[in-house]
Amino acid sequence: MAALPAGAQTRDRSVLSAPAPLNARQAGNNTFQFSLANGMQVLVIPDHRAPVATQMLWFKVGGVDDPPGISGLAHFFEHMMFRGTKAYPDDTFSQTIAKNGGETNAFTSHDYTAFYEQIAKDRLPLAMKLEADRLVNLDLSDAHVRPERDVVMEERRMRVDNDPQSLMAEQMRAALHLSHPYGRPVIGWAEEVRRIDRVSAQDFYDHHYAPNNAILVIAGDVTPEEVRVMAQDAYGKVPSRELQPRSESAEPPRLAETRMTIVRADARVPLVNRIYRVPSYSTARPGIAEALEVYAQQMGGDQTSVLYRVLVEQKKLASDVGASYDGYNRDAGEFSVYAVPRPGVKLDVLEKAMDQVLAATAANPPAASDLARAKTGLVASVTYRRDSQFALATAYGQALTIGLTVDDVNEWPARIRAVTADGVRKAARSLSRKEAVTAWLVPGASK
Amino acid sequence: MNRSIFGRTAGRENARALSLLAMARIFAGRCSLTMVALIFTLAAAPAQAAPIQNIDLGKQAEVWFTEDHTVPIVAFSIALRAGSAYDPAGKAGLAAFAAAMMDEGAGNLDSKAFHQALADKAIGFSARVDRDYLVISISTLKENTAEALHLLQLALTRPHFDAEPLARVRTQIIQSLQQDQAEPPRVSSRAFMRAFFGGHAYAHSTTGEISSISAITAADLRGFAKSHWTRDGLKVSVAGDITAPVLQKLLGTTFTPVSARATQPLPPIGRLGQPGVHVIAMAVPQPTATFGLPGIMRADADFIPGYVANYILGGGGFSSRLTDEIRVKRGLTYGVSTSLSAMSKASIWVGSVATRADAIRQTVQVVKDTMKQFADSGPTQTELDDAKTYLTGSFPLAFASNSGTAAQLGAFQRQNLDIGYVARRNSLIQAVTLADVKRVAKRLFDPARLTVVIGGSPADGRAQPRSARPLPPGAPVMPPARPHTAPKSPEKPLAGPVTTPAPAPKAPKKP
Repeated sequence: MAALPAGAQTRDRSVLSAPAPLNARQAGNNTFQFSLANGMQVLVIPDHRAPVATQMLWFKVGGVDDPPGISGLAHFFEHMMFRGTKAYPDDTFSQTIAKNGGETNAFTSHDYTAFYEQIAKDRLPLAMKLEADRLVNLDLSDAHVRPERDVVMEERRMRVDNDPQSLMAEQMRAALHLSHPYGRPVIGWAEEVRRIDRVSAQDFYDHHYAPNNAILVIAGDVTPEEVRVMAQDAYGKVPSRELQPRSESAEPPRLAETRMTIVRADARVPLVNRIYRVPSYSTARPGIAEALEVYAQQMGGDQTSVLYRVLVEQKKLASDVGASYDGYNRDAGEFSVYAVPRPGVKLDVLEKAMDQVLAATAANPPAASDLARAKTGLVASVTYRRDSQFALATAYGQALTIGLTVDDVNEWPARIRAVTADGVRKAARSLSRKEAVTAWLVPGASK
Repeated sequence: MNRSIFGRTAGRENARALSLLAMARIFAGRCSLTMVALIFTLAAAPAQAAPIQNIDLGKQAEVWFTEDHTVPIVAFSIALRAGSAYDPAGKAGLAAFAAAMMDEGAGNLDSKAFHQALADKAIGFSARVDRDYLVISISTLKENTAEALHLLQLALTRPHFDAEPLARVRTQIIQSLQQDQAEPPRVSSRAFMRAFFGGHAYAHSTTGEISSISAITAADLRGFAKSHWTRDGLKVSVAGDITAPVLQKLLGTTFTPVSARATQPLPPIGRLGQPGVHVIAMAVPQPTATFGLPGIMRADADFIPGYVANYILGGGGFSSRLTDEIRVKRGLTYGVSTSLSAMSKASIWVGSVATRADAIRQTVQVVKDTMKQFADSGPTQTELDDAKTYLTGSFPLAFASNSGTAAQLGAFQRQNLDIGYVARRNSLIQAVTLADVKRVAKRLFDPARLTVVIGGSPADGRAQPRSARPLPPGAPVMPPARPHTAPKSPEKPLAGPVTTPAPAPKAPKKP
């Protein structure tokens, strides 16, 4: 078995760095895990309701692995995976999947890149053959690179440049993460996306796309044994490669809160938003991430949440509020809160009221009913997730890619149930303004 | 129910169910969500897993049911004739406003108590309107099914429209409309519908206008609920972990007290479209063009050939001619897609494309040229064969989950199809010939009749309507409704401002 990426070696606390058995083994909760000799990890999640299957191929590469000065390369490369090989030139990949009644797409985060197909189960070998082909045979000529770079620029205009809230989030993250690459946008800074060329794309391909950097997740109307044979047949021949070690950036201490006011003509409604840098499921001590998850749900998960009740319904200062915890990262997680003022309410008044609510939850444990409701919603989400092959495959693929284990996924509901009122209060107290960026979005004339 | 400027979901969905998909900082792949939504459909090979049963509720409702005990949840899709086309004159947005109030208090429960009753049992409850229908989606753990339906019954029969939630929801809707005014896709599609449907009840946005929403009263909402939240034409689709006898009894109990009052029919429609390119000036880096033509009604024998023709021209994501010409060959856009959409009184073929300001006119021209070429020559045999294998082969994907099954069956019901259609559907597509598609392509895709509305200023600086006929006087340049078929982040109502669209493929709504 080829070397795992350096990052995986130091970070993965999972079966991924343990010697993997060749035969499928029950990994709990109706999931089965094995690996191929070339280092590809495989997870199977049988679901026999309809004769269809979902294939997801996750790579342990993402925006953090963009070379300095070329942010957006990982995401751009994800696009290039659909630009064709010798055997399946141009758009033949997508067209072959479509011709066979399937769907395909992909997505990129800071930590991973994932490709998927949803297709009739008897076409799964075809989908695997196509994925294996583009794992090594991609055609990265200028004729493909240039138009796709333009496409990504249009994607950036659509998702970010045309959207003041996205621009705001991009600026906030750039400030929050100091020198860590989580501060660079996954889609890339426009000037740097323009620098992407055939050479940087080829280099990225050669050093990150390999079976020993991938996790294959198959959910659907399949058995583990079927998948083992199919996967060996399609992917087994692909040689492992020496990988470029993953970026292991430090998260330097923040000594002060960062604040910013963004004035934009295309912002029609003001907003106050704060993102705290917090531990993630990968970095936190046991129970800490789960407590942050429960705290976020209880504070701003829905209309029964504490922030909504106090700021929207009682004090009538806000028209909308929310809180969320983003903990599925290799490095730091993020805890976010936002509030939209009612007409005539000043942002400083709203922010002060928001901080009073947060301070109260740091001082006192939550009401039993609030805690119970938050936990009920989170635990039920796992049952609802079982309704979707895609959601299930995503949950496991994401967890494994950032260094968690199948057990971590399966035990999550029990860990959520175990969160105590005192644990939630401690989570609230752990949020430090020094570890946060606060931004106001203000309608007005752009400069 | 996070009814916010970040996602106008009216209802409490089980967002946590897919919270892992609602991950912040993920860039959905090379294909936009819209495209994914539009191309999700039916497939060639195997039949869908479970048979569809008819549950007899007498005249109360048409009920389709798929039984599956794999996952202990039950999903419902419930449709009432209470869409935005029933908004009275001057009260645009009333149907949607009423829908947004569905979980804001009913029976013995005030707004807060109603929300808590849902959350305490982790019941997903959301309501949205399209032009014809109010569509309520419910998902529940099996043990809470009776409670979920009880809350639905209260919402339908004894809604409150209390002052506090009414003021709050009104503010949320207005702020959302304000933000939409700065977003080119919304400006463009909203103005397009107004231009396309002229004075008809389909012309205004489902979400209404700031002025009309500001003037709506509790009495208006009560009156609308009384006259339109009835079981006249009620359609229910159910999938999941329940048995037919139990379901029949529960639904009977739920709907018996719902009013049987008849809704008045919608007016017939006149001429459709305002050919030409209309520009709504906006200082944005990337304008959006929405374009469309009169489509084909669902009951027309040409509908299925038209559906296949649309797939080849612009509906099929990476397989489509428009994507090939505009994105793949020229790198002009991240996404171009079209759909053939049949409503009860009109059908429309509509698409949209976004590109940089100095390329938008060129891009619209490529759309027209590609249409013309297709209308003149039709598809190749290979294109037709590929379309058929995709459209038939992907059918089972729509039935791979309870929520997907309920949504797909509900979409068929709202098209007035019979319960046997699901079994028949693939053979209808298989029967489409090259001559059929050529005929329909010629009938449909006439670029000279194309209505185009650009939201954003083309870089040549021309901001005046170029067509002979301007937009109707007083037509407010307002944000469009989020397209019903492809919400921005459909499964993510919890999302705050910092999340990006989830990569989840979104369910169907296909012929």
